[in-house]
Amino acid sequence: MEQVVANGLYLGAQYALVALGLTLIFGLMNVLNFAHGQMYVLGGFITYAVYGQLGLPFVVAVIASGITLAIIGGFMERFLFRTVIRRSHREESTMLLAAATAFFFDAVILLIFGEKQRGVPKIVKGVFNDFGIILPYDRILVGLLAGAIILGFILFMKYTKPGRAMRALAQDRMAAQLMGVEVNRYTMIGFALGAMLAGFVGGLLATITGINSGIGGPISIKAFMMIMIGGAGVVSGAIAGGFILGMMESVGLTVLRQYGDVTYLVIFAALMVFLSIRPNGLMGKPWG
Amino acid sequence: MSISRRIIAVTAFLILVFAVIPILIAVSGRKDFYYTLSSVALLSMASAGVWLTFHIGRINIGQGAYALMGGYVSAILVMSYGVSFWWTLPLAGLFCALASILIGLPILRLRGVYFAMVTLVLTEVARLLALALPVTQGAKGITSIPVEVFGLTLVPDFTMMENPRIAFYYLSVALMTACFALMHRLVNSRIGHICMSLQQNEELASSIGINIAQIRVIAYAISSFLGGLAGAVFVAATQSVYPSSFTVADSINFMLNCFLGGLGYVFGPMLGTLVLYFGWNLLFETGRFQLLIYSALMIALMLVLPNGLLSLGTLRKER
Amino acid sequence: MTFLLEAKGMTKRFGGLVAVNNVSFGVGAKEILSVIGPNGAGKSTLFKLISSFLRPTAGEVLFRGERISDLAPHIAARKGVVRTFQETTVFRNMSVRDNVIIAHHLRSKASLLGYFFATRQAKEDEAAFGRSADEILGFLGLESIAGETARNLPHGHLRGLGIAIGLATDPAVLLLDEPFAGMNHDETMKAVAMVRKLRERGLTILLVEHDMQAVMKISDRIVVLNFGQKIAEGTPSEIQRNDKVIEAYLGIEDEAIGL
Repeated sequence: MEQVVANGLYLGAQYALVALGLTLIFGLMNVLNFAHGQMYVLGGFITYAVYGQLGLPFVVAVIASGITLAIIGGFMERFLFRTVIRRSHREESTMLLAAATAFFFDAVILLIFGEKQRGVPKIVKGVFNDFGIILPYDRILVGLLAGAIILGFILFMKYTKPGRAMRALAQDRMAAQLMGVEVNRYTMIGFALGAMLAGFVGGLLATITGINSGIGGPISIKAFMMIMIGGAGVVSGAIAGGFILGMMESVGLTVLRQYGDVTYLVIFAALMVFLSIRPNGLMGKPWG
Repeated sequence: MSISRRIIAVTAFLILVFAVIPILIAVSGRKDFYYTLSSVALLSMASAGVWLTFHIGRINIGQGAYALMGGYVSAILVMSYGVSFWWTLPLAGLFCALASILIGLPILRLRGVYFAMVTLVLTEVARLLALALPVTQGAKGITSIPVEVFGLTLVPDFTMMENPRIAFYYLSVALMTACFALMHRLVNSRIGHICMSLQQNEELASSIGINIAQIRVIAYAISSFLGGLAGAVFVAATQSVYPSSFTVADSINFMLNCFLGGLGYVFGPMLGTLVLYFGWNLLFETGRFQLLIYSALMIALMLVLPNGLLSLGTLRKER
Repeated sequence: MTFLLEAKGMTKRFGGLVAVNNVSFGVGAKEILSVIGPNGAGKSTLFKLISSFLRPTAGEVLFRGERISDLAPHIAARKGVVRTFQETTVFRNMSVRDNVIIAHHLRSKASLLGYFFATRQAKEDEAAFGRSADEILGFLGLESIAGETARNLPHGHLRGLGIAIGLATDPAVLLLDEPFAGMNHDETMKAVAMVRKLRERGLTILLVEHDMQAVMKISDRIVVLNFGQKIAEGTPSEIQRNDKVIEAYLGIEDEAIGL
C-alpha cells in the first residue's frame, strides 16, 4: 500500500510537471501543443548528451535542457503559431501546425540521436527501504526536484510581473490587452516557459527511465489526459491531473498487473465516463 | 457555379477516375497504383466523416476507432457467420453509426479540446478492446479473409492478385464518389447551414429552436458510418485486420487531411488525403530524411495557406 | 387578469448563494414588461430561468398555463418563448441575411430529409424564408447590410441583428437581454422606438435592463429586483414613487461614491 502511494507520488510529480507546461500554453493561446511529448524527449536527449556523454554535472545538463527548450519554444511561438493564428479563419488550424511540429521534432531527434534506447549513469546510488517502501534514492531525488520546480513555477506565476501578466492573459485576453499587458511578448514568454518545463522533466527522467526517440507521442497523450482530468488551462488542474493519473497508474499496475494493457483500458474508459459527467474536468473553464 | 459548368466538372471527374486513371495505369504498368489510389479513396471517405464533425464545430480524433470497428464487424461477419461481403459493408457502417450514437450522446456535450481528447482516447480504447476481446482474436487479428468482389469469390491467391486490385479500385472510387456527392448535397442543403449554425454558436442555435443535441448526434453518426464503411472495405482489400490496423496515428491523419484540404470546403478532405498520402509516398525516395522533409513541408504549407489548399482559389479572387 | 407568461415562486440557488428568491410576476398578452434592479440583483439569472436556459431550484414558468421551465431551450422556443442575447452572440461567419434565414428553423414544414432531397415543400420553405427574412430586415431598417458578414458589423447593427434573429422564429413572447446596454441617448431612443414597433407586430415583450430612463419610457409595467427578491411591481410612475426602489437604487449609488 505505502509502496503504491510512494510510486504514485513520484510518478505524479513528473506528470504534473509535463501537464503544467502543456496547460500553460493552452491557457495562454488556446493551442493544444501536440509536440509537447517531443519537447520532453528533446530535453531528455540534451541531458543525455551533456551529462551522459560530455560528463558535465547533472544539474548543468538539466538546466541546459530547460534553456534549449525555452529558446525553441520562443521561436515556435514567434515564427510559427503567431503567424498561423493571425492568418487562419479557424482556431483549430493550430492543431495541424502543432502536429506537423511534432513530426518535425520526431524526425530531427531520430536523425541526430538514432532510435536506440539511451541511458545515463545514475546520479545517486542506493535504495531507500523502510516503512514498507522500497524506492531508489535517485527516484526520490528526482521526485523532490520535480516538486521544487513545480513550487518555483507556482511562486513565479503568483508573485512576479511576467507571472501576473500571463495569468491575466489566460483569464481574458482582451481585457489584459486593454489593461496594457504586452500580449505578444508574454504569449511568447509563456510558450517558452511551457517548453522549458517539458525540457526539465525530460532531463530529470532521462536518469531514471532513460530516453528513447519513440516515446514523444505517448507522452503527449498522457499529458492531454492529465489536463482533461484537472481542467484545461488551469494550473491547479494540471497539478491535480498529474498526481491523479500518477496514482491511477500506480494503483492500476499493481492491482491489474496480470491483465497488462487492461489497466489503460480501465483508465481510458473511466476518463471518458468522468468527462461525460464533468465536461470541464475538475477545475477547468469551458472552452470553445 | 452554373449548372452546366457543374455537369462538366462532374463528368470530367468521373471520366478521370473511372477511365483515364485505369488507362494510365495500364499504359505505365504501375499496377501498384491501384492499391495506392484505392487507399486514398477509402481514407478520404473516412476523412469526409471527420470533416462533417468539424462542420458542427467538433474536433474529431476518433475516426480510427470506427474504421477499426467497421473492419472487425465486416471480418467477423464474413468469417464467423458467412455473411456475404456486400452485406457486411452497410452492416459495418450501421453498426458504427449505432455505436456512435450511444457513445456520442454523452461525449458530444463536450466542446473544444475536451471532445478532441476524448475521441483520441476513444481510438486507443478501440485498439485495447480489440486486443482484449475474444471475438477479435487479440493481437493475432483476423487474417485470410475471403472476399468476393463482383460475384467472384477470392481466397488469398497470388495468381489472381491483379484482378481484385482493379476490382477494389473501382469499388473504392465508386464509394468515394457517392460519399462526396452526398456530402456536397448535405452541406449545401439547409442541413449544412444548420450544422454551420452549431459550429458558430450552439446557445444561439438552440434559442432559435434547433435541437442541437439531435443534430450533433446525426452528424456524428453519419461521420462514423463513413468511417466504418471505409474500414470495412479496407479490411476486405487487405484481407486482414489487426488491432493496429487503425491507430491514433490514423485518427490524427484523418484530421490532418481535413485541415490540409481546408475546413471550409467539402472536397477538402479528398484533396488533403491525396496530397498527404502521395506526398508521403513520393518522399520515400529521400530515405531517412522522409519524415523531416514531410513535416517541414507541412509546416511551410500551414504558414502559407493556413486555411487549407483549397483556399488558394479564394486567395486569388481577393487580390 | 390571465397572463400569457407567468413566473411563480422562481428560486435559484448556486451552492449556498440564493441568486433569485421566490419571485413571481406575470406578463399579459402584448404587454411590455421590464425587470430592473441594481447590479447583482439577480436579473440575468432570472432571465435565464424564464428562457429555460437554466433550471429553477424551485418554482415554475407557465406559458399559456403550461409549465415550460424544465424544457430544453429549443422546445421552449418551439412553444413560442424566444430570447435574444447580448450583442456579440450572432452567427459570426454568416451573412446578415443568412443569419435571419437560418433562424426561420421553427417555421420549417419540410423534414431534414426533405431538405436533403430538395422536395417541393423544402423549396417552398426556403423561398418563404428568404422573403420573410427580407421583410424582417426591412422592418428593422437593416436591408442595407443584408449581404455583410456578421463579424464585420458595428455594435449597433449587431443588436438589431439579434432582434431580427429573434423575430424570425415567430415568437409569441420575445425576451430581450439588456437591449439598451452601452447605447448613447440617441441610440437608446431609436431602440425604444423599435421595441414599440415590435409590440405593434403583436409580440409580448419581457426585457431585462439596467438603463432606468429607457425602461421608464417604454414599459407598461416594471418589476424591480434587489438581492434576488422582488421589491416592487407597478407602472413606471408607481415605481418612480416607490420608497423601497428609491432606497435600493440610492443605496447602491451611495456605495458607488464611497459613502
